[in-house]
Amino acid sequence: MENYPALIVVAPFITGLLAGLFVWIEKRLSYPIVLTGLFVSALSAIQVLIRVIGSGPIQYKLGGWSPPIGIEYRIDLLNAMVLCLVSGVAFLNLIASYKSALKEIGDRASSYFTVYNLFITGLLGVTITGDLFNLYVLIEITSLTSYAQVAMGDRDRGPLASLNYIFIGVIGASFYLLGVGYLYMYTGSLNMADVAVLIKGSQGSSTVLTAFILCILGIWIKMALFPFHVWLPNAYTYSPVIFSRVVAPLMTKVMVYIMIRLMITVFGYDYIFNTLHLSEAVVWLATIAVLAGGVMALAQKNLKKMLTYIIVSEIGYMVGGAWMGNQLGMTGAILHIFNDALMTFALFLAVGNMVYRIEKVDITDLKGLFGKMPWTMGGFVLAAFSIIGVPPTCGFFSKWYLILGALEKGAYHFAAALIVSSLICAVLFFKVFEICFFESGSHGHEHSSHGPAVIEEAPVSMLVISGLVSLSLIVAGCYSGTIVNTIILPFLK
Amino acid sequence: MRVIAFIIVCLTGALLLYGTTEFPDWGDPKSPASLHVSNYYIEKTYEDTHAPNFVTAVVTDYRGFDTMFETAVIFTAGLGCFLLLRDFREKKEHYYQHIPTGVILHLKDEKKSLPVGKEFGYMDKEWVPPDLINKTVCRILIPFIQIYALYVVAHGDYSPGGGFQGGVIFGSSLILLAISYDLKTLVKRIKERLLGIFAALGVLIYAGTGVLCLFMGGNFLDYGKLAPLLPGHSDHIRAYGMLVVEIGVGIAVMAVMTIIYINIVSEGRHDEGL
Repeated sequence: MENYPALIVVAPFITGLLAGLFVWIEKRLSYPIVLTGLFVSALSAIQVLIRVIGSGPIQYKLGGWSPPIGIEYRIDLLNAMVLCLVSGVAFLNLIASYKSALKEIGDRASSYFTVYNLFITGLLGVTITGDLFNLYVLIEITSLTSYAQVAMGDRDRGPLASLNYIFIGVIGASFYLLGVGYLYMYTGSLNMADVAVLIKGSQGSSTVLTAFILCILGIWIKMALFPFHVWLPNAYTYSPVIFSRVVAPLMTKVMVYIMIRLMITVFGYDYIFNTLHLSEAVVWLATIAVLAGGVMALAQKNLKKMLTYIIVSEIGYMVGGAWMGNQLGMTGAILHIFNDALMTFALFLAVGNMVYRIEKVDITDLKGLFGKMPWTMGGFVLAAFSIIGVPPTCGFFSKWYLILGALEKGAYHFAAALIVSSLICAVLFFKVFEICFFESGSHGHEHSSHGPAVIEEAPVSMLVISGLVSLSLIVAGCYSGTIVNTIILPFLK
Repeated sequence: MRVIAFIIVCLTGALLLYGTTEFPDWGDPKSPASLHVSNYYIEKTYEDTHAPNFVTAVVTDYRGFDTMFETAVIFTAGLGCFLLLRDFREKKEHYYQHIPTGVILHLKDEKKSLPVGKEFGYMDKEWVPPDLINKTVCRILIPFIQIYALYVVAHGDYSPGGGFQGGVIFGSSLILLAISYDLKTLVKRIKERLLGIFAALGVLIYAGTGVLCLFMGGNFLDYGKLAPLLPGHSDHIRAYGMLVVEIGVGIAVMAVMTIIYINIVSEGRHDEGL
């Protein structure tokens, strides 16, 4: 069936709306409906990936209109991979987080699932589309749903974090829209491939330059690259577990994907690196982002917040790799989209399990957790090793490519920043391990005075997924050569 | 900090101005924006779709996929309002009116309540009797506003209008009802449940039309493939498709407007409004 590309986006969309309908008729149905939609979406994404690997990029014309008259979906190896990632993570997370959603969101959970599915629809639509304006509309859906979901988290701080996120997010999205407007003024087209053809040869145009700056700045704000990151830590920390588990691995990575898409498909390497000579400056910015994220993570007392600063640091990795201007750097950046999504997912699954049992995850609250939640902590340790970059976990391999790319380019500062940030991560995580392993929780008399503070392992559904994802880090590490050779290198050629 | 912000604002402004230096003249018929795809829309729309209004054709057919998600954006806004604001907790104090005498009773004990019916009616805290002139004028106006809204929805593919505009007009007629009478009158007329169902149903009509096209063997939202399902000239099938999705948009927008209004003015309690 040639409609798989449409199904990837439409299945979660329609099931989300159906769930919104069934909330008013039969509440219990909304969860299975939403789950089915994500399952169909993930299956179609895998089908599409197989087909793209087999026979090259797929074009899907929506409404039957050919581009540039209508909107098209264009799926090549890069977005086929990201699509599988997004739909897979969303599906697994919905299973893993069902219980914690019921606990945190309560009676509103059934209508919450609608928002969740719309959020995933937005991410998938952003990834799959070949149209600049369609991309903006889907960014809008993604943002709007994430504002709502953040505000549903922590009762006191969630709404404020969401408000900050709204202000900055709206600025980012309107920058992007403005950039698309400038491009339209110059070309009269909204289709990515078409725009790319039309702006070729207009290297000195001030309109194209403005459009480029606005689009890239907008996406940087949305992905929380270092000076624009202020909204991210609070928004991700105070949101409900089910949302932070899916937004932390996916949102920033999808935005990095959009940046790479704009760089490669729309504006072109030649324009960015040979006409504008931006590589140096942006790699420096990325270096600062990597270090600043790490340093700010060191200052955090809350585990969830610490991890969000690590995300800020990881964004620096991918931006630096993508703007290195050589194949190794870009390979590293794309591989890191995949790996970082998996690692962050595994970390947040483990942290979600902790939150489910102990509610507050200040680092001092974690005393003796190895004994009480051994499986969760096992997953956490694996994910942490991957973030640090210990072979054979997947984090090592993408870092390896990034460092090779930096060395080839002569960007030694970036390579050094990567190594320093790995060390910072090692310090951070071993601090957490030490507290969890060596400091026994029973010493804290103030805890026991509150009543029977017996901590148990998280429910099986959460544990199984958390364990599987953590193990997949090693599998992805072992197969990173295959990923690079079948997906990334053919894409970059 | 202010100085830095001011500098950034100035720089952004300068960038935007710099970008416009190469812009074509205002209204220039030779500008790229009016040469590349617009000509196709202007020349071929009637041939392709048989919809005389080509703005509607671009919005709901050529770029109908965007519009579906724009409707979803509105739906999300309504849903977000509901999720964040809706407060199901009971109020602590109750006010009642004894209808035959007009005496107002104030119950401070939250556990006690009076049977609401012919004898007693709910009452707002800052209740003022609805103005007779306002009430009468609005009562006469509202049906006409609603008919006009339906006209705007139905005529979207012939004249300026469409689902968004018609939906907003319909929604505002309901909001007018709530303002001229009181919020309870509106909530009694249109149950929250119904609004919730309408909001989702409207977007589902749009997306469902797209899925129907999939089942008929076309691409998503390819209305041309729906020809066997509808009577009449198969030339006009795309215009019919547009009408169907416009109706969906209208329903969704109407419901979401009302949901947002009710939840914001009553702080999610659905009892006292403006």
